[in-house]
Amino acid sequence: MVIAFVRTVILYLFIIAGIRLMGKRQVGELEPSELVLALIIADLAAVPMQDFGIPLLSGIIPILTLLCITMIISVLSMKSVKFRVLICGRPSIIVENGKLHQREMAKNRFTVDELMEELRMKGITDISTVKYAILETNGQISVLPFSDQKPPIAKDMAVVPEEAGLPLVIINDGRVLDHNLKTRGYDQVWLSKQLKSHGVKKPEEVYLLTADELGRTYFAPKEAVK
Amino acid sequence: MKQIWIAVGLLLAILAGTLAHSFYLSGFTGELTALLEQAEERAEAGDWAAASEYNRKAHQVWDEKEIYLYLLLRHQDADEIYMSFCEVAEFLECEEGGEYSAANAKLIAQLKLLTEAEQLTLKNIL
Repeated sequence: MVIAFVRTVILYLFIIAGIRLMGKRQVGELEPSELVLALIIADLAAVPMQDFGIPLLSGIIPILTLLCITMIISVLSMKSVKFRVLICGRPSIIVENGKLHQREMAKNRFTVDELMEELRMKGITDISTVKYAILETNGQISVLPFSDQKPPIAKDMAVVPEEAGLPLVIINDGRVLDHNLKTRGYDQVWLSKQLKSHGVKKPEEVYLLTADELGRTYFAPKEAVK
Repeated sequence: MKQIWIAVGLLLAILAGTLAHSFYLSGFTGELTALLEQAEERAEAGDWAAASEYNRKAHQVWDEKEIYLYLLLRHQDADEIYMSFCEVAEFLECEEGGEYSAANAKLIAQLKLLTEAEQLTLKNIL
């Protein structure tokens, strides 16, 4: 058992180091330590699950060990910037003021095709309109266009739109959500009026009814299922 | 910060528990080996009844820890040792000197390997 413990610690740290060396692109949406945990925890659980000749503890001890190390790494990452950089790496600027940082792209083994694909997915076709494109530590790309390329927001246009707040679901597939109804400050009388105004008699005939903080509602009747 | 201490504490507890297991297993198999060696000495002296008694005692000690052993060891290893105990007992009953000696040596070697596999050594880690 102590061998399982020591091997788990060594392999976990080894795989984290491997993932870090492979670069940010391999990581996906998880941090390296989280990705490694996700990769090996399922396998560790599956082995004693399938092979009855292996004691259950052979699976439980490495899993518990991994969870403890992950917890230690995540707390240390939160407390120390240096440790975080060591485990997760630093974000890489691959486009700055419309110019490609080719060395940084090569360092992260990031091709032009991949960059163009990422930019297109964000609605950008011209690199010269990009102020910054940053390859984040989780492998995602953040794109910040030049100020004159950003879509205007209400504040830019000196418009003050109404704050509608979060619409709450009042009827979900024929079921009345009483808690949301009360949260919005409405009652059954209000609900009956709403149903009547939309030409239905019972909540069972409604697929979706929402209400926002300004009292605006969205109504969708149930369609007849063939 | 409390979380990190819980995690570190748990890690140390696991390490201590696994080390305690390997230490205990070493003593446990040492006790069994001593009994089996005494049985062999008695068998070589021609005292088959005493040899059987030592072997029975060793088997009993093994059986008493059955749950613990199955909880922490590969079931196949534990099963093989159980079968070897039965084999040795049968040779003792038949008073087959040569066969008994070989089977007993195999059983002692199995116990030694079982302990070795749980020791914190570089050979095992690698």
